[in-house]
Amino acid sequence: MEQPRRITDSFPRRLRRRAAGRPPGRLKDKKDKKEKDKDQEKAQVKVRDCSRSPSQPPPDPALLEMLRRFDLSLEYGPCTGITRLQRWERAQELGLSPPDPIRDALLEHRDNPDVTYRWVWGGM
Amino acid sequence: MFSEQAAPTAQGLLAPPSAEPPTFPRVPVSGYLDCSQPFQLGERSFSRQYAHIYAVRLAGMRPGLERRARSRWGNDIVLRKLSELQAGEKCCVVGTLFKAMQLQPSILQEISEEHNLVPQPPLPKYIQPSDELILEDELQRIKLEGAIDVQRLVTGTILAVYGSEQDDGRFLVEDHCFASLPPPLPWKGPSSDRFVLLASGLGLGSVSGEALLSTQLLVDVVTGQLGAEGEQSCAAHITRVILAGNLLSQNTQSRDTINKAKYLTKKTQAASVEAVKMLDEILLQLCTSVPVDVMPGEFDPTNYTLPQQPLHRCMLPLASAYTTLHLVTNPYQANLDGVRFLGTSGQNISDIFKYSSMDDYLEILEWTLQAGHISPTAPDTLGCYPFYKSDPFILTECPHVYFCGNAPHFQSKLLQGKEGQRVLLVTVPDFSATQTACLVNLRDLTCQPITFSGFGADSED
Repeated sequence: MEQPRRITDSFPRRLRRRAAGRPPGRLKDKKDKKEKDKDQEKAQVKVRDCSRSPSQPPPDPALLEMLRRFDLSLEYGPCTGITRLQRWERAQELGLSPPDPIRDALLEHRDNPDVTYRWVWGGM
Repeated sequence: MFSEQAAPTAQGLLAPPSAEPPTFPRVPVSGYLDCSQPFQLGERSFSRQYAHIYAVRLAGMRPGLERRARSRWGNDIVLRKLSELQAGEKCCVVGTLFKAMQLQPSILQEISEEHNLVPQPPLPKYIQPSDELILEDELQRIKLEGAIDVQRLVTGTILAVYGSEQDDGRFLVEDHCFASLPPPLPWKGPSSDRFVLLASGLGLGSVSGEALLSTQLLVDVVTGQLGAEGEQSCAAHITRVILAGNLLSQNTQSRDTINKAKYLTKKTQAASVEAVKMLDEILLQLCTSVPVDVMPGEFDPTNYTLPQQPLHRCMLPLASAYTTLHLVTNPYQANLDGVRFLGTSGQNISDIFKYSSMDDYLEILEWTLQAGHISPTAPDTLGCYPFYKSDPFILTECPHVYFCGNAPHFQSKLLQGKEGQRVLLVTVPDFSATQTACLVNLRDLTCQPITFSGFGADSED
């Protein structure tokens, strides 16, 4: 008897990388949540160490304060669930003229998750 | 139109066959451009809330509405945001509508254990006299009353209201306006008769096989295998077939197998597998002869939220070997021979039907064009992808043909706009129920229904 034909013969299987730190099927498990957070932090720490060059200084608190004020300013729309750079670019396209220094700061500290992060509630 | 062309040249099937059978080459495809890139989603991320899509919708439509308000109520009217309102001052406010409906199905009420209520059965319409309209902008919301038809409007519409705030905190509306028809596209249509066949709701995989004969008749007419030479030469003018959704029937969606135990359902196959095989064979016959655009619908195996992504070509192995098969999104927008087509499979219109007092599908279709948005009720009552950058359902250009699938009857209307827009509105009927498809003539934007039915035992002719 010949081998049964599989769909992977015509459509080759491709491994897709999941987003870093998001293991599948563990979102609802509250018991493992703390462990997952630790895993995420470990993964993030690893990524951070690899991508940030050791000579780059950490961003100063005044910059972080300016970015937080950008998040909270209501005229550019909601800030949850999207990165700050995405929000800045959307405001630019809608003609709301967001201030340029914020974009420069975001591009300069692109690798730092504290600067670029999506503002999420409860690890969404 | 179709049959008038056929009649004079009809040699009739009763004549003896001619020595050399005539051939009718199909009109070649001259211009096709797929413009539905905004509806194609690449990587999808659902980790966002829906506040973004409403914010972008309001920000995107606000300039156009402010222009409309100024042109309608005078250049000197005061445009205010809700936070700047002063009591008693006549002003104009642009915002998003929210209709508070008592009967609207709410997931919170269903899962609330204190109420011990059975979930509400689906109703044809959820409107009630006690519904209220609330206008929201970026920061605040206010109740509306006055010269505004509460029953007719739906949540998610962006509009401009003119009136004043009362002492009790409500806004008394004297007049309101929508974004109106978007700016027109230049007309580059063909100079000779070219037809596009619109059909929807083929409903394959249903329990009764009555519609199968009509579907086969449709395929035979389009591929030129039916009728005398007159009909065949007319069919050669059909340049494209668009199947607007619901290719599979609702019966294929039965969820009985989920509730049964695994050992009982191991050998059963999902009903949609047989139906998709049938669809593949039908599409194979069509694709060998004419370009076909296949849009997914409510009961088709693709994602549920709008915009629905194209069916995957691995489900249609026979038909996808041909380049004439185009699997497209729902909603679908394309330039065919210089004529801009825009249409959906009907979920947006039927959702507005449920939450509004408007009863006529053509009226609702025209209203969505006037409101400047394909589907205002998404994401409130109709599933929608959480867009954050821009709302692709906002109408920025006026199409030449605007259709919706799976309507209860066939209706069509040619709408003339103030800025020179000419739109043909077509409600494509459900084929499995009415056995009717539509033929749109691209030269003069007219539409004709074409019905396929067999003579059954209970027909009255």
